Amino acid sequence: MIADIVTVFTAEFLRRVKSRAFMIGIVIGTLGIIFITKMPALLDKAFNGPNEIVLVGDRALLDRAAPLLAKSYTIEAELPPQAIDEATLRAHHASSAFVFTQHARSFSLEVYAHDPGAVEVPRINRMLMPLALQDALHADAARVKQLTTVPIAIKSLSSKFANSADANAARGIAYTLLFFLYMLILINSQLVMGSVAEEKTSRIAELLIASVDPSALLAGKILAGTVLAVLQMVIWIGVGTAFGSPAGGAAANASSDNIFSLAGILNVITPGVVIAFLAFFVIGLLQVSTIFAAFASLINRTEDLGSVTGPLLIPVVGAFFIAIAALGSPDAPFAVVASFVPLIAPFVMFSRIAVSNVPLWQFAGSLAINLAALYAIAIGAGKIYRVGMLLYGRAPKLSQVWAVLRS
Amino acid sequence: MLEVDHVRKEFGSVRAVGDVHFRIEDGATFGLLGPNGAGKTTTMRMILGILTPDGGAIRWNGAAVTARSRRHFGYLPEERGIYGKLKVREQIAYFGKLHGMKEPAIGKRVAWWIERLGLGVYADRPCSELSKGNQQKVQVACAAVHQPQLLVLDEPFSGLDPVNAETLIAVLHELKAAGTTLVLSSHQMWQLEELCGEFVIIAGGANRAAGTLAELRSAWPTRVVRVAPASDELRAPFASVAGARPLARLDGTIEYEVPAATDFAALLKSLVAVAPVTRFEAIEPSLHEIYLHAIGETAA
Repeated sequence: MIADIVTVFTAEFLRRVKSRAFMIGIVIGTLGIIFITKMPALLDKAFNGPNEIVLVGDRALLDRAAPLLAKSYTIEAELPPQAIDEATLRAHHASSAFVFTQHARSFSLEVYAHDPGAVEVPRINRMLMPLALQDALHADAARVKQLTTVPIAIKSLSSKFANSADANAARGIAYTLLFFLYMLILINSQLVMGSVAEEKTSRIAELLIASVDPSALLAGKILAGTVLAVLQMVIWIGVGTAFGSPAGGAAANASSDNIFSLAGILNVITPGVVIAFLAFFVIGLLQVSTIFAAFASLINRTEDLGSVTGPLLIPVVGAFFIAIAALGSPDAPFAVVASFVPLIAPFVMFSRIAVSNVPLWQFAGSLAINLAALYAIAIGAGKIYRVGMLLYGRAPKLSQVWAVLRS
Repeated sequence: MLEVDHVRKEFGSVRAVGDVHFRIEDGATFGLLGPNGAGKTTTMRMILGILTPDGGAIRWNGAAVTARSRRHFGYLPEERGIYGKLKVREQIAYFGKLHGMKEPAIGKRVAWWIERLGLGVYADRPCSELSKGNQQKVQVACAAVHQPQLLVLDEPFSGLDPVNAETLIAVLHELKAAGTTLVLSSHQMWQLEELCGEFVIIAGGANRAAGTLAELRSAWPTRVVRVAPASDELRAPFASVAGARPLARLDGTIEYEVPAATDFAALLKSLVAVAPVTRFEAIEPSLHEIYLHAIGETAA
């Protein structure tokens, strides 16, 4: 039996890895991840205009202004007071020049820009406000910061995260991983479904079943799909981490300001969350793809796949949305209950674990229930598959499927 | 030895097989005959362990068929399929692996089958690029690559041109010579007559007739006697044969259906006594006729 599973697994794995669908999935998925990681910076540039500037003015004033502007602008050069023209900007590859003039208890700013409409005055005002206050009050930077900062202390009632920044970061990362979970389970379950349907419709099924036990055939096929999904996930997360940019991420923490930055992930993702993600990913994928495979064995034409897939997707899509809601309310009763329900739990329990401290008994209970459900699904799916692969002609009625399950 | 011991199989309210039984000795070639819907495929699937009988038993070498014994079985189903994207060599090797073969034996067997079936030119091409006949040869190789002890072939000749059919017959003879027990189902009676030593004819899910061709013929109640020339004098002696019935002929011969127990030597003597006889044949029934008779049909 094990040898048969290994043979089917190897053949299925190689066939799928070489398939166009898998290659396209990897390429498009990877490009998508790169796009997502770079999107914040691109959006920032698109909506905030060109960022390259030169600063012009007295050295002392520029030394105080530069750190404040550097948060949003790329400072190409700091120049002594001088007349500004087109050539100055071109020489420094800048889109605008910020010319500072120091007065007795204030300073003024003139901005020379290629596109005056792109100069965001309120934003610049906000950034330079501390400098204006220092001059007006004759106070140093620390004093101004003290005066302009309301002392707000956020006390976390959860022992999961020390501060709100980490909690936000965790939520961002959990959301991303949840999206991966959803995409990978959907994509790979449908690939398994397609593979079963191909064998059924090409009429090779009977030859296969005569050669190997249908359970081994189904198990090898689903395990190959699971390993490929994990491989895909590793590639996607690896690429995302490698391309993670420091700009514009979901998290507020300075060390984790991008959902894909390695520093950010390591800061809030504990080994427990990683284990939970992998465990529920594998269980969820096995549950869904086993059901998909069983129902694929009942169709006679690949065109019928769509009509079978639709109803089967409902619990998966529903689980995804419940899991998103659970990110905001991980201990709400509906989230707690949902985190035990087979097919839904893989999404919701992971969601809760990522952002809250789930009691160990709940984690273990959910794991046990879902493993038991997986076993029951495998038994039922095996029965349907064994009969379905030999069934041609009229599609079976639901009552007939139920009779097979009860047999 | 394969024993099919009064097996029964039902699908809901439909009885696919009611009572089928036969025994096949090791190395024999056995014909499983019956009209469409007779229960042949269901019987084959039960032999191979794909379906479990609802009643009766199937034994291989005296024991129930297990996953272990199934490794030594091969099957060519009537509904044949193929992995279109797999190359011919890979396809055959995959089925060898599914039957527990290991390298390097598998490589040698695959090469042998490719050579034997004349598929060398296509060995490294995807199966989808092959003609239907060549795909069918690949399927035969997939079913037999592991040198099965029992090979079950459901309509192996359908879709094959005469040349490829001859190739397949030659291959089946080779397998038989190597000791493989063959179970064949086909509507091409003449091919089965050539290949099979024993037969069972089933209809409505039950045995109708079984035995060697000689046994089936000996059980046939009549024979056909053909005589030439077609003269009235030569018709007269048939009047004294109890149960003789004239058959219509247009080729200058006389044909009569007579009881199988007729004394043909005495009949020939009586014919020669009344007129010159240029032709005298006592014709045994063909498998085709026996089949039609057994299933209760007559040729149109």
